[in-house]
Amino acid sequence: MGTKYLLALKRFTVWLLSGFTTIFIRFGRELGPLAGLIAISLFIWALTPYFLTVENLRNIVQQSSINAIIALGMTFVILTAGIDLSVGSILALSAVVMAKAMQAGLPPSVTIGVGLAAGAACGLLNGALIAWGGLPPFIVTLGMMSSARGAALVVAEGRPISGFGPEFQWLAQGSVLGVPMPIWILLALTLMGYLTLAKTSFGRRTYAIGGNEEAALLSGVNVNLLKLAIYAISGLASAVAGVLLTARLNSASPNAGIAYELDAIAATVIGGTSLMGGEGGVFGTLVGALIIGVLRNGLNLLNVSSYLQSIVIGAVIVVASLLDRYIKSHQNSRLT
Amino acid sequence: MKRIAITLIAATLLFAGCNRGPDAAKSNAPRVGFVMKTLNNPFFIAMEEGANQAAKDSGAEVMIQAPEREIDVERQMQIIENLIQAGVDALCITPSGSKEIVPAVKKANEAGVPVLIVDTRLDQAAADELGAKADTFIGSDNVEGGRLAGEYFAKRYTEETPICVLEGVPGHETHDSRLRGFMEAVKAAPQLKVVASQPANAEREQGFNVFQNILQTHPEVKALFCTNDMMALGAIQAIAQANRTGTISVIGFDAVDEARDAIRRGDMTGSIAQSPHEMGRLAVVNALKRIAGESIPAEIPVKIELITKDNVDQ
Repeated sequence: MGTKYLLALKRFTVWLLSGFTTIFIRFGRELGPLAGLIAISLFIWALTPYFLTVENLRNIVQQSSINAIIALGMTFVILTAGIDLSVGSILALSAVVMAKAMQAGLPPSVTIGVGLAAGAACGLLNGALIAWGGLPPFIVTLGMMSSARGAALVVAEGRPISGFGPEFQWLAQGSVLGVPMPIWILLALTLMGYLTLAKTSFGRRTYAIGGNEEAALLSGVNVNLLKLAIYAISGLASAVAGVLLTARLNSASPNAGIAYELDAIAATVIGGTSLMGGEGGVFGTLVGALIIGVLRNGLNLLNVSSYLQSIVIGAVIVVASLLDRYIKSHQNSRLT
Repeated sequence: MKRIAITLIAATLLFAGCNRGPDAAKSNAPRVGFVMKTLNNPFFIAMEEGANQAAKDSGAEVMIQAPEREIDVERQMQIIENLIQAGVDALCITPSGSKEIVPAVKKANEAGVPVLIVDTRLDQAAADELGAKADTFIGSDNVEGGRLAGEYFAKRYTEETPICVLEGVPGHETHDSRLRGFMEAVKAAPQLKVVASQPANAEREQGFNVFQNILQTHPEVKALFCTNDMMALGAIQAIAQANRTGTISVIGFDAVDEARDAIRRGDMTGSIAQSPHEMGRLAVVNALKRIAGESIPAEIPVKIELITKDNVDQ
């Protein structure tokens, strides 16, 4: 049975890849990652009966929601050819600031506002330094990554804070119409992101900056103000993720979110947004985050060793980028 | 294009159909899910070996999973949710965060899956708040381990001696307990003066950096206690670089192989040995008992001892 099984697996993989590539070329950025998501899901479904249950699918979306929300903000940043390395630290800082406010006895609605404001403030500071300080985003957000983490440790005195009551936990553990709250929040934010990028002049200018910053500037776009807003969006998205994470774990830890920037960048890139800026969108990013979520879930269900899991996820990031490059060269040759 | 897509879907459906039978049928043996803190630390690899051995001896299936990073509690929660979906009959969990893991334990409770907490205790207040319950705790008494280290220093140094401590991630139950036990023993010995106590996040590199800094500000220090071996191994590198090997007595925690080598060489004085292999084995053995409907004690202690040059090869 062993060799027959392997042969079938091999043939199946070849089919999968050729199908994936074809669809990717045909429909481009938005549908390519979706085809990938479906292909990977079918593949895992074929290998384990535990994958395709309503409960498990709900789990996957819920598990992906924190990364996806950070990645939505990251998409705006990457569309302008920037990068935000500070998202994980901002997540932790806004979470512990909110937790401290809650310990002080403020009602949840106010404390959530405080947490979100903390995240947005960090983002604004990032944006201001990048826009008016003229520093590269990599450096500014690297600095923020360290400072915000330190600030989180100071605020929380190094310890996780817990005990927020059922009202607050409902945000992560409650559900409406059978759909868990994190999924609703994720869908709402994705829709908002999509509308902003596709239907507003703010969105068009975001693409313009990423496509050619000089040209955007010359055609009258207030590049500095736009960058300020975009890094604030990223900070805000991280803070929303921080609120959800805190509700999910019923505690806010100053050590939360370490290395989350890598997952968020991965989701954005797998979703087809170009690191060079100017191309991509939030639906792709949502799909990218789901791809990572499905892979992690599937590899758990299949009891694949955690060492191999890291290899697989790394490989998917690289393969997605390769496909991206392949398409670009294909499209360019068609144009000429 | 369309043809390829159709072939693709047909092939997958066929493939799926073929494979579902045997998978669904083989789930007669009891299945134990085991969630480690990480699998890039020798301590947890030893625990994994113990768990696998117990599974082999009893014909059970264990699914062992861990996040890439030791402090990634959210990822641990995801793994727990996924293992519940995979239909495990019991869960052994080594919490990366005593408070943060509680909602995941609650989910296991709701799914009717017995939970065995291993190595690091749940935070009692957080567990009570959500009404989350574990069936047992299997682990060593970390307070006792820290005390063993403190008592060793108290016996060895009879005159006033400046000592220091490298702590783990603040707020982490295991490291806090070790520190607490150590400090209790030190307070009982007034000749021991703690001149510095700094967190180095349980990591080797941090242990190196932090202790290098401490050596700059407190060159007089004679003894160092680290709440795990990784930090101790980093610290002895810093000591070697300052050409002070042999002048500072270092005791770590966990007695991993590298620490044992360092003890043999004389670079480290000692390390508190837990028995992670035994911990992993006991976890699976008791999980299987629980699955079979037997009752298990609420606390299952695992032995703990100080390893020095005298007993390192026993």
